[in-house]
Parts: sequence; C-alpha cells; structure tokens
Amino acid sequence: MPPTMKLPPGAFAAMGTVVSVRPGTSAVGDRDASASPPLDDQGALGLVADIFARWERRFSRYEAGSELSRVARGELALPEASAELRAVYARALAWRARTDGCFTPHRADGVIDLDGIVKALAVEDAGDALDAAGRTGWALDAGGDILIAEGSTVRVGVADPHDRSRLLAGFDLDGARRRALATSGSAERGDHIWTTAGLEHTPFVQVSVAAADLVTADVLATAIVAGGYAALDELAERFDVDVLVVGHGRELRATPGWPRAGEARAD
Amino acid sequence: MRRRAVLLASAASAAAILGGWQLGEVATDGLTATGTPTVTNASAGSADDGTGGSSGSGSGSVDFNALTPKGTTSGTGGTDAGGTGAVATTVDGTFEGPTVSTRFGEVQVQVTIAGGAISDVTALQLTDHDGRSVQISNRAEPVLRSEVLQAQSASVSLVSGATYTSAAYLQSLQSALDAAGFPG
Repeated sequence: MPPTMKLPPGAFAAMGTVVSVRPGTSAVGDRDASASPPLDDQGALGLVADIFARWERRFSRYEAGSELSRVARGELALPEASAELRAVYARALAWRARTDGCFTPHRADGVIDLDGIVKALAVEDAGDALDAAGRTGWALDAGGDILIAEGSTVRVGVADPHDRSRLLAGFDLDGARRRALATSGSAERGDHIWTTAGLEHTPFVQVSVAAADLVTADVLATAIVAGGYAALDELAERFDVDVLVVGHGRELRATPGWPRAGEARAD
Repeated sequence: MRRRAVLLASAASAAAILGGWQLGEVATDGLTATGTPTVTNASAGSADDGTGGSSGSGSGSVDFNALTPKGTTSGTGGTDAGGTGAVATTVDGTFEGPTVSTRFGEVQVQVTIAGGAISDVTALQLTDHDGRSVQISNRAEPVLRSEVLQAQSASVSLVSGATYTSAAYLQSLQSALDAAGFPG
C-alpha cells in the first residue's frame, strides 16, 4: 500500500488488505495477579498486528522471501518446510476433501496457494492471543472475515457487492454458534477463485457464510463461489451454517437461518 | 385402476423422499403401509395395479387413510365416469400426512397431488425431543433484498465483503466505521 495511506486508529494493513480491530475490554478481575499487566487498547491492537505480521512472513504469496513463496517456486520441498506450514497445508487438504474439491490449496497450475485459509487462521490466532491476554468482547475484521469473542454479541453487516458503500444485509453474531462471518466473491479482486471442473464461471458474485468458527465460514464461502449451486445446496446442508449468496443478476438466495426482516430477534 | 396405482406409487415416492431426508431406513420401516387411498373408484383397481404399486414402494408407504385434504381439493372423476354412479377416480389437491414418529423426531409431511401424481412433498413439522420445531433442510431459497436488508443493518460495527484491497478500503463503509469505532 502507498506509504502515505492514512488508516483509522483501529486498523492496520496486512495481507494485501486492512484488518479492523475492536479491542474489547480488559477482564482484570479474572486474571492472575502475578501475570503481566493487562493490555490496554493500543496494546491489544499491537498484539493483533504482530500476529498478522508473523503469519504474513511465513505465508505471503506476495513477499518473495516468505517460506510459502519459496515452496511455491520449488526452492523448498514441502517435507523440508516448517511444521507450521505443513500443518496449514494439511488443514487445507482436509477442507478440500470436506468440500469435494470445491476448496483447494492449489492454483489451477498446481502451485501451492494457501491464501484461502491463511487469513482466517491468522484472525483465529489473534483472537486466541486476545483471549489469553485477558481481553473480552473483542471483534476482528480482516478484509471482510469477521470473528468475535466467545460470549459477546456483535451486529455486523454484509457489503453490497455492486456498491461497496452500502449494506446488503445484517447479521447478529451470537458469540457461540455464530461467532464468524466470511464473504468471498469477485467484487474486489476479480475472479480470483478458480471454479471447479465443469463450471466455467461462478454463478455467484458474492457468497457470505456465518458459522461457529472463521475457518469454516471462510473456506465454505470460497467453496460455494467455486462450486456454484451444487456446492451451495450440498455444503449448506452438511455444515451448520447460514448462507447468503448474490447472483450476477443481483438476485439473492438465503438459507432459512439467515435473518429476515420482520423477525423477532433474540436480542 | 391406473389412477389408484399412481396414487400408491406416489405414496411410495413420499416414503422414499422421507427416507432421503436423512431419516434412514428405520424411518421408512416405521411408516404404516396400508396403501389404501381414501378416494376410490367405483370400478375398483385390479390386483395387478395394487401389486404394482406395492412392489414399487420398497420398505413402506404413507398411510393415505390418514391424509387430510385441505384447501383446494377438487374431484375430477365424476364426469369421467359418465354418471354411472361412480365416485371420484382421483382428487387433486394438497393433503396433510400423518405425524410419524421416527428416531429422529416427529415428522409430518404435506403432499400435493396434481393430475394423479405427486407434485410436491413438504415437511410440515419436525420436532426434536424437547418438542421444539426444527428445520430439516438448509436449502438456500430466493429472497428479496428488502427481506435481508432490515432495520438491524443500521447499527453494524463491522462489515463483511469480498476482500478489500487496501485502496478500496479507504472508500469503504468499514473505513468510516473504524474511524468512529476504535476507542484508543
């Protein structure tokens, strides 16, 4: 990003996008008095930024020196790569199996590409660190991948893919069965998701998935973009998720659990 | 009669669809298999037809004695029979099936019959062991924008969208929310 770019105080640039941080509050009473002093808001922001920087150093496709870039170029064989990288690759392969190949950790030319899962893992890692530091009520949004602290409730929105300054829908994350909301699509970065065999172009401009954890939400959103209607039906049925999709004609589809106007809300 | 066979086959289809709803073999085995439609023809169906329907049903079928006509039910058989005292040969309409107990809970289906064939089967009721009604299909259906863009959208604090580039972020709603939202 340009060095002159001025971001708001609660945001920082990482992984080619911007991470927004709601630091929550320090649960001082719950902490061991002998532990380090509680993190203030700036400290919480710094902690999250450090974790993203660590993930980016290892997994960035854009930094030529990252471990993943070395693997992608063939300079480093996978069995020689770090345990962390191999673990992430294994998780991505497991998700490929769970999504019948709709999600894949490889580009069409076969080169390893973990972008589809790394951002969500970094957010979850940062959330774990905030928990460990005694922060409660935090919420993180990494380029549209949202995760909130367990036990908190946060009202979030889904952007309109045809006008990013507008909202398309709302969703109340509940801090339990729906702690995460992720959106995939072609609105910002072009058709960067490879579609599965037989589907030349994805029928969806944007797919949003709410789930208990962010990796599930993010992977399934990507898989549904890639797999089209068949993947939408199959994955929405198989996983405990709520899904909202936007088609090329701006038509919308939602699973029964996606909140509708006029419904009495639990909160 | 052919109509009767169609009805029986339809009942079999209903049972098969029930089985498809992750209810498994236990569920279809548990259904009653009387296979006698409440609507009969004066010239009763031949044994062949009845057998054909039954053999097609596999492990069971819906008890049509328990089907309750509702709404737009219409008889069509009277005129066909040419006034020879026959009652309706078939009835198009929407029927509520019996509530069936399965190991997955109570299930009630609604069957829509058009032209003697099942055109739709809908689950009316599926309750868990605590008696709460539960969804058995998570299929995404078309919705209007006004249905999902609701009043609650007004007070969001974070926005999910396909990944922002850093430059696009500055023009985004998220950027404005961040400027307002960080207490530090």
